[in-house]
Amino acid sequence: MADIKIIDARGLSCPQPVVLTKKALEDNARVTTVVDNETALENVKRLAGKFGCAVTVEPKGKSVYEIHIVRGTDFNKDQDFAASCQTGTAPSGPFVIAVTEDKMGRGSDELGAVLIKAFIHTVAGQAKKPDVMILYNTGVKLTVQGSDVLEDLKQMESEGVQILVCGTCLNYFEIKDKLAVGIVSNMYDIVETMSSAGRLLAP
Amino acid sequence: MKDKKTYAVVLFKAVSYALKAEKILKQEGLPHKLIPVPKQISSDCGVCLRFEQNIQNQIEAALLNKVEIEDIITLDH
Repeated sequence: MADIKIIDARGLSCPQPVVLTKKALEDNARVTTVVDNETALENVKRLAGKFGCAVTVEPKGKSVYEIHIVRGTDFNKDQDFAASCQTGTAPSGPFVIAVTEDKMGRGSDELGAVLIKAFIHTVAGQAKKPDVMILYNTGVKLTVQGSDVLEDLKQMESEGVQILVCGTCLNYFEIKDKLAVGIVSNMYDIVETMSSAGRLLAP
Repeated sequence: MKDKKTYAVVLFKAVSYALKAEKILKQEGLPHKLIPVPKQISSDCGVCLRFEQNIQNQIEAALLNKVEIEDIITLDH
């Protein structure tokens, strides 16, 4: 009986356990991979399944598993496999959208004004809404009375989206008294929010 | 939000028509909203004007002979 190759993948981050297991399977008919989290377990199991190998899992205490893999006859090492690492590497921190202008993109301001309206309306309709929306420079004009996207911004605010509006900018355009949605914010909050963002998006 | 209201959208051949129509509706004081064309509707133009269906006649009258309308479609939700 051929030797069993042991891969100790404990403490390794995704997709390392999968990469090492696949490499080991190329040279060994029997591989045992030791992992210490469920993401790695699932990924290695999927890998073995996709390559037509027999798999048995042996739990070894808290979140530690020994995965015994026996290579099948139709093993094809050139097959691709993508590990799914979301669980391990999901961005931590809020999803932030920074609206820097009252238009979207450069080129035509008239078109840009149409696009930003469409953008905000669409964001408001998404299932996955931002945690925070920051508006500065001419972007603050979207938050005052008469703005065409007020309804969308108000809806998002009522659904828990924090809307930060640059106070300096409202002041500069002399529209502070017309603010209709969001809270007046400052550079400290804006920098802190942007720095801690898991994802920062600017249209 | 606003589940009871029924909306319809006016579709145009091009973005410029939608902008022209928006200006007219603003002048006329008819409530409307420029939105991206809903996915389920196909059109050449990426934006359309949404309005509450109960003012459809006024919308149509305001745009008559001023802006060419491609279609008016009632939204389901």
